Amino acid sequence: MTSNKKSVGLVSLGKVPEIVLKVMADQITRCFKLASQILPPMGQPEYALDEKRLQYNAGIIIETFESMLFGDDHKIIAVLNQDLFIPIFTHVFGEARQGGTCGLVSLFRLAKNPDGSSPPGFLIHERATKVALHELGHLFNLLHCENKLCLMHFSGSIEELDEMPLHLCEYCAIYLQDKLG
Amino acid sequence: MSIMVVDDEEIVRKSLFHWFKKYGHVVETASSGLDALEKLEKYPFQLLFVDIKMPGMDGIELLEKVKTEYPDTLVIIITAYGSIESAVKAMRIGATDYLLKPFKPDQLSLVMERISVQKRLVSQYNYLKGRLDKITRFDNIIGQSPPMEAVFSLIPEVAQSDSSILLFGETGTGKELVAKAIHAESRRSHLPFIAINCGAIPESLLESELFGHQKGVFTGATRARKGFLEVVSGGTLFLDEIGEISPKMQVDLLRVLEEKKITSIGSREPVDVDFRLISATRQDLKKAVAEQNFREDFFYRINVIMVEIPPLRKRKEDIPLLVEHFLIKYSQETNKKVDHITIDAMGLLKQYDWPGNVRELENAIERAVVLSKSRTLGTEDFSFIQPYGIEFTESLSLREMEKEYIQKILEENTWNVTQSAKILGINRVTLHKMIKRYKLKRKP
Repeated sequence: MTSNKKSVGLVSLGKVPEIVLKVMADQITRCFKLASQILPPMGQPEYALDEKRLQYNAGIIIETFESMLFGDDHKIIAVLNQDLFIPIFTHVFGEARQGGTCGLVSLFRLAKNPDGSSPPGFLIHERATKVALHELGHLFNLLHCENKLCLMHFSGSIEELDEMPLHLCEYCAIYLQDKLG
Repeated sequence: MSIMVVDDEEIVRKSLFHWFKKYGHVVETASSGLDALEKLEKYPFQLLFVDIKMPGMDGIELLEKVKTEYPDTLVIIITAYGSIESAVKAMRIGATDYLLKPFKPDQLSLVMERISVQKRLVSQYNYLKGRLDKITRFDNIIGQSPPMEAVFSLIPEVAQSDSSILLFGETGTGKELVAKAIHAESRRSHLPFIAINCGAIPESLLESELFGHQKGVFTGATRARKGFLEVVSGGTLFLDEIGEISPKMQVDLLRVLEEKKITSIGSREPVDVDFRLISATRQDLKKAVAEQNFREDFFYRINVIMVEIPPLRKRKEDIPLLVEHFLIKYSQETNKKVDHITIDAMGLLKQYDWPGNVRELENAIERAVVLSKSRTLGTEDFSFIQPYGIEFTESLSLREMEKEYIQKILEENTWNVTQSAKILGINRVTLHKMIKRYKLKRKP
């Protein structure tokens, strides 16, 4: 059940398995009680490729999306298979700006365990969904949370991401409710 | 935390700006060392991220200047061209950490966590130290402005003598705190400090409170009771709102000060007393003497030394210090993590004239912390301090300003006298007197 007129659009940038977007859409409805919709896919964001780093600049993609008009009540989560970075960091799993319109999720580093082995498919989907919900939280102005058992806790490594639950702590849940009105 | 990112590259400034915003920090950016120093002059940032290679003043030079002028500000050096030599140099000058760009996301997160723990420990230490000092000296009298420095230097000086002191200052300026500090610095510091608000106690009761009474001298006197003038034995007696006492009480107290003896109500046996008197007033007693509303001989007896406590509007440079102190205090007391304030909100607080002085500022911070839903206080958290309908222009006399302000507070609190008195920092009895004196009426 969703009780809000706000909604979330999910879009793939380049080749992304549709199941990933479906899992994300389902969890957005369960966890954030928001309507979600899978949008037609878009092309790989070649305009954001940094040729020195061979990574995609998350800031440039976000600024491109934010210049498009989606309306105040709509947030976009864009998913891609390429490695993302922001200039000060070696890489990021995802990126969004506080109160922004668009969040990004990169699957690139989620499909590998820290020991080099390949994780099962469901775990990749779970990791990607956690990143998507975390970035969506930022789009609704939620801050990083100190509670390690909260979806809004910052996780800089795969281990931390796997430890992070797929739900908000009670305080962040209240803040979210407040933001959603 | 308040953070400034100093880097000549816009993309770096932008990235770190957005990153720190996700933690609710107050973030500012500067594109050069000079720009950073200008911004530091306006706002005391707690943490700086400084790039080494910048045109003009480089990061190391900026670090040196910051550590000299703002030693409490932490500096983290960031660079894309790291060398052991530059790292050692930066750490020697006082950098808190040194990071190579680009860094792993969890690397920055760890550094911030460490700083946050360090800051929390320092805050807790300062708060506990402040609580401890409360018992001993100078606590809660916060300020480093020239008018407050003058008060601080007077305290130990006047504490050494036994002469009567008159503290003059508007409501909420901290007169009782100064009185306590003088007591704590004096040779009587191990003896009692008794504070009595003369305006809060009816005349008949004040006499019995000060002088004591024998058993059965009036209804309700079921047993003999020593007065505060005797109980204080050897210590300091602080009489607040001395201007409110009756002419009869002025005569009685004058006699005590001259003879150092009291006779309790219903007794004929005088008792020797020894105390140091500190009085306080917000009224112009000289004028009251001229208008024959206050006894001249009593005025000169209590006013051997006068200490004037400046109003907050005359020492606005102390506002950031006071805000920081009250933020820590109320974050701890309410167990809420509200420990930042935006630059705009600080600007608003510095702009406001604070007719209720430090007490009004403290109430404003307490209220904002209690009601805040985020970690950082913004201008919206202080909308209630915006003066409405009153402009304190120079054409208003102090008396008119007081009248207008009391009316404002009463209206804001739907004429709840207890609540209004609390905000004004006076007691209910005094507020009732003022309502009567100024003929205040509820606005339709």
